[in-house]
Formats: sequence, structure tokens, C-alpha cells
Amino acid sequence: MRLRVNGKEVEAHPGTLLLEVAEVPTLCHHPHTETRGLCRLCLVEADGRLVPACATEAREGMELRTETEGLRTLRKTLLEWLALTTDLAQAPDLLALMERYGAEPERWGEVPGRRGREVLKDNPFYLRDYAKCVNCRRCVDACGDGIMGVYALTLEGRGLLAHPTTPLDRPLPETPCVFCGNCIQVCPTGALRPLSMEV
Amino acid sequence: MGKPSLLPLLDERLPLTEEKVAEAARLAGVPLAQAWGVVRYYPRYRGLPQGRLLVDDPVARARGFALLREKADGTYPPLGLEALAPSYLRFTPEGRFVEWEGRLVPFAEFRLPFALGHGERLLPPEPVESLAQYRSLGGLKALEALQKGHLTPEALFQAVEEAGLLGRGGAAFPTHIKMRAVARGEPPRYLVVNADESEPGNFKDRFLLEHHPFLVLEGALLAAWAIGAERAYLYVREEFEAAIRGLEKAIGELEVAGLAPVPLEVFRSGGLYICGEETALLESMEGRRAEPRLKPPFPVERGLWGRPTLVQNVETLANLPLILREGPAAWRAREPKLFSVSGDVERPGLYELPLGTPLGEALRRAGGEPEALQAVLLGGAAGVFTRDWAFPLRYRERLPLGAGALVAFGEGVDLWEVLLGLAHFFQEESCGKCFPCPLGTAVQVEMVKRRERNPSLVADLAATLKGSLCGLGQSAFWAYQSLLEVEGAA
Repeated sequence: MRLRVNGKEVEAHPGTLLLEVAEVPTLCHHPHTETRGLCRLCLVEADGRLVPACATEAREGMELRTETEGLRTLRKTLLEWLALTTDLAQAPDLLALMERYGAEPERWGEVPGRRGREVLKDNPFYLRDYAKCVNCRRCVDACGDGIMGVYALTLEGRGLLAHPTTPLDRPLPETPCVFCGNCIQVCPTGALRPLSMEV
Repeated sequence: MGKPSLLPLLDERLPLTEEKVAEAARLAGVPLAQAWGVVRYYPRYRGLPQGRLLVDDPVARARGFALLREKADGTYPPLGLEALAPSYLRFTPEGRFVEWEGRLVPFAEFRLPFALGHGERLLPPEPVESLAQYRSLGGLKALEALQKGHLTPEALFQAVEEAGLLGRGGAAFPTHIKMRAVARGEPPRYLVVNADESEPGNFKDRFLLEHHPFLVLEGALLAAWAIGAERAYLYVREEFEAAIRGLEKAIGELEVAGLAPVPLEVFRSGGLYICGEETALLESMEGRRAEPRLKPPFPVERGLWGRPTLVQNVETLANLPLILREGPAAWRAREPKLFSVSGDVERPGLYELPLGTPLGEALRRAGGEPEALQAVLLGGAAGVFTRDWAFPLRYRERLPLGAGALVAFGEGVDLWEVLLGLAHFFQEESCGKCFPCPLGTAVQVEMVKRRERNPSLVADLAATLKGSLCGLGQSAFWAYQSLLEVEGAA
């Protein structure tokens, strides 16, 4: 089938995600987990409606716009808010996106954020540094329904303070965790890191 | 339901311990991780606040919030008490109370005074609390006709379509389209009555549940029977305990009389604003954190436990018996809508008015003088400030009607203080699932605190919140943007 992306005709197979036919930034999406449609960085305009490219399939005759002024503003602002509230020092892809969209976080003034959180070291293999966590939930999904099915991670709280935690907030060795490392593999911001990488 | 739901299992075990959470998870057949995520999401499982709490609603914000706050240990989200006055609650280990006219009324017994209702014609002029009373007023005829085959589901859908009924929860979607879509789906199908009214300034559903339970139940049964639902659930805001007890009593009476062709069950809501969002509501019924789902698929296709589900607001369903009684054409000629009017008017309360009534006229009915007001908050927290007194109160007009709240603010009220309350409300109630909403509502609080009027910042805040996953984030900036417009026009 055929659709138009920013005015150019593109060929796609049925079932293709818009993400595969359009070059858009993503953060929460990961091919091995089911997290999708959360970060909203990949929002595009499909026939005039805002839809997440990571969760929407291409349709015959669709008119797609991926870089309208509104979408650029949304991405720029979101990246600014992430930078204001979260430590992105180990998220090079996000820092590159900030450059691309001309982010100026300081224009919003002070916003209370997630930065003050203590690093959790409760096992010999990896640490949890939730000051760097954007709450994309890739790790929770990889540990649960997505890859492993051991359910050693879940979510705590609501709103800006929501972040991953363990069942009963226990140290990882006291949970079903088997230290498989899948959560580290899927973490996009360095909030979960192998201890061997620490200096 | 497919399996025991986690929320009732946790409710039965309050106050919770780690062992009790593990037991509830086992009985529900879910991982402990899921149960813990639920416990760490809903306030009542984390432990309710204690002390003397001020109900933080727009009216309290307009009445010297800082001073009211001084007498309180904390704040509590709105409860549908907004029309009355700024209210305090007392939460102690022994129980929960509403401070009302100098007395402590047990929370479980507190009902909105019936005198708040100003029914024009369609709603009876007194509370209807027994089946016999409801019947004597002409109730249940439509349900009996449907049960006896004198009224077909298609005829009901047709009547709803001819009446032009739009969903009364705020989204104003044509009711007959949803009903027909669910009826076409593969069974089993479900009906869920959305009785989780949590919008600041709205108390019409609470009023209907507390004073007209049979009307609501007949509407629910009509819809459930017509769509071929296997079961109907009433998802009721858990703080409305008097309403829950009244509904359970009324369901019992209907069952004894053989007038409940579809099983009815009350489900205590998760107790958060987001629980009224229809997909978050379904998530909570299925025992998860009440977080909105990506749409499509819509609940009419894949709703409760993945089955076709009709989710309808209380007032929408309460209109079904009225449409059949009056006839769709006569009903449409009136287009009755309930408006919750509060704030600076002489007779705050619930008013049944025809859609299209000008805003100024609606205020005058409640003893308000529009010209003496600074503005009205139309729709609730997800609403707008306006001074457009000629605005016809109708869906799909320039301004959002929401569920029908009108909160009036007289001269001398600091509207920025009211706005700050709304901004706090959104920040507190954001579920945190998508990115724009938790970030944007936190940024918004800071902007409102410093009374930020920079148009480009406000426009970028709006553009970004619009990208949120659900209506909560998508509407969180409306009040802010509209206050700047009202200021600009003043």
C-alpha cells in the first residue's frame, strides 16, 4: 500500500508501524518490550490527528506529517522538561535530540524534579539510580510481561514522582530477580547500570 | 468477571499489611509485583490522610484559602460538596467525618441535602427512595415493556438517536452510536455505569445516586438489556458511601420484585480523579493501576476483560427512562441537562435547565447577578473561565460544557488563587503514565505561582500538554489559558 509522508509517497506493507516509514524520535518504545505511546516524542499528524508513530499502523492513503511547527514545539518542550527534572547525563541520545530541537530548558525557570533521589546499591551486579529515570517503564515490562516473566519490578507512586520499584520495596536479592540484565539492556537513560561500569 | 478482582480483595483486608497484600495477590491470581504497584498507586491502600482536612475545591479557594488552611492539617480533593460551603473533614483512626453545620456527621452517612435540587419537571420534586414510590410515579414501565418484548432493543436505540442524547459525562459522544456498537459485538458484553464523579464543582451524579437511585438503575438496566450485557457494574466513587448503600438496597428491591433482568453489582471506585476516565476505570476494575489505555481499541470493542463494554455516565443513563416516558421528540424539545451551580450565587444547587439556556440566565435562576461577577468557571477543573453571559449552554459550542458545573466568582475573589488550586489538582491527579502530563502539570503549578503571563510560554505549555495520552493532561491548561483571555478582555 501507499501513503504520503511529509508530501512524499512511500510504500509500506500492511501492519507496518508509522515508526518504520517515518524518521521520528522515540524514547519509551523498544522492540523487545511492549511499552509504547507513553513518551509522546514520536507523535505525528496522521490525517490531521495526533497519533503515536510507535503504536499506529500505516493505512492506505494516509497523509502523514512528522515535523510540523506544533510537533517541533511539543518535542522541544518535552525535552526541556525532562532536562529540568531528570539527570540526563548518561542519556546521549536525548542530549543529541535536545541539540536537534534547540532545547532551552532554562526558559521555564525552576521545576521540582526527580534529581534528589539516592542511588540504590543492594546487590553486586547493578545499581538503580532513579534520579536519572524518566519512567519509560521499559525495565518493568522487560522484567514482567515483555521478556522475562519474573515480575521483580513494578511501579511506585503517581504523577511526576512515579518510578519503578520492587515488590514490597524490598532489596533486589529478596525479590524474584534473577539478575538476567534485561532491564539494564533496555534502560535508555543509565538509570540502571552494571556496577562493573562504575569507576 | 473472569477472576476475582484485586481491588475488592484489598478493600476487604484494610488496613493492609505485607502479608495481606500477598494474600490478595494470590487470590486474584496476579504477581505480587502487580498487587504492590496497585497498593502504591491508590491513596486508600497507602493509608488515608489523618487530621482535620480542608476540602480543596474552587469555592474554598475563593473564600480565603490561606486562612481556611490555617485551621487544617492538610487538604482533601473535592467531594461534590462545593455548593454548600468550604468544608472540613475529620479523619481519625476511629472513623471519617464531615464537619457540617457545627456537627460531625459520619462520612458514611453524609448525603447532599435534597434542598439543593431544583428539578424543573423531569426529575420528581422529592427524593424517591422505595420501589413502590418509584412505581407510583410511573417508573419501570419502559423496563417492563423491554422485558416483555413490547419494546425492542432497536426501538430503544432508535428513540435514543431521535432524542439526540449526547453523553453527559463531558465528552458529549452520541449515546446511540456507542450502544449500537456494543450490541453488535461478540458476547459476553458488559455495561459499566461511570459513577466516579470527581470533577471539582460537579455534584449532579452524586445527587442522582443519593436521591434517585431507581431512576439510575432503570436506565442502567434498559441499556444493559438492550445491548445484551451479561452483567452491569456501577463503578461508584468510593467516598459516596451513602449512595453505595442506597444503590445496594435498591438493587435488592428490584431483584426481589423480579425486575433486574441483568445482574447488577456495585464496584467501589479506586478513589482518584483519573478513575473516571473510561479506560483507566476499566484498568482499575481489572485490578491494575488506574492508568488510561491507548485508544484505539475503544471500550465498545475491547473494554472490560477485553470484551465489548458500554461505559456510560450516570446522568446519561438516567435520561433513558425519561426519553421513553416523554417520547424522544418531546424530550428533545426540552433537552434537559443538570447543572451544578455553586460559588457566589444566592441559591447554589442543582438546576435542571434546557440545553441552550444562556449562561447569564442560568446564573440568575440560582440568584446570581452576572454583571456583578468576575467570571464563571464552566465545566470544572477541566473547564474554562468565562464572562460570556450570552453563551448558550450547549454541547459542541465554543466553550466546553464538561459535565455541567458552573462555579461563580464575585468581585474581590483572587482568580489566580482559584487557578492555583486547579493547577495543584491536576498535578496531584496526574497518573504519570505518559510524559507530557506529569511534567507539564508540575511546570504549570510553578508558572501559576509566579503568575506567568508570557504568551509564548503558555502557548508552548498548551501545545505540549495537548499531546498527553488522555483527557486529563489534554485539558489541564484550559483554565489557565482562559483566565489570561478573561484578564485580557477585562
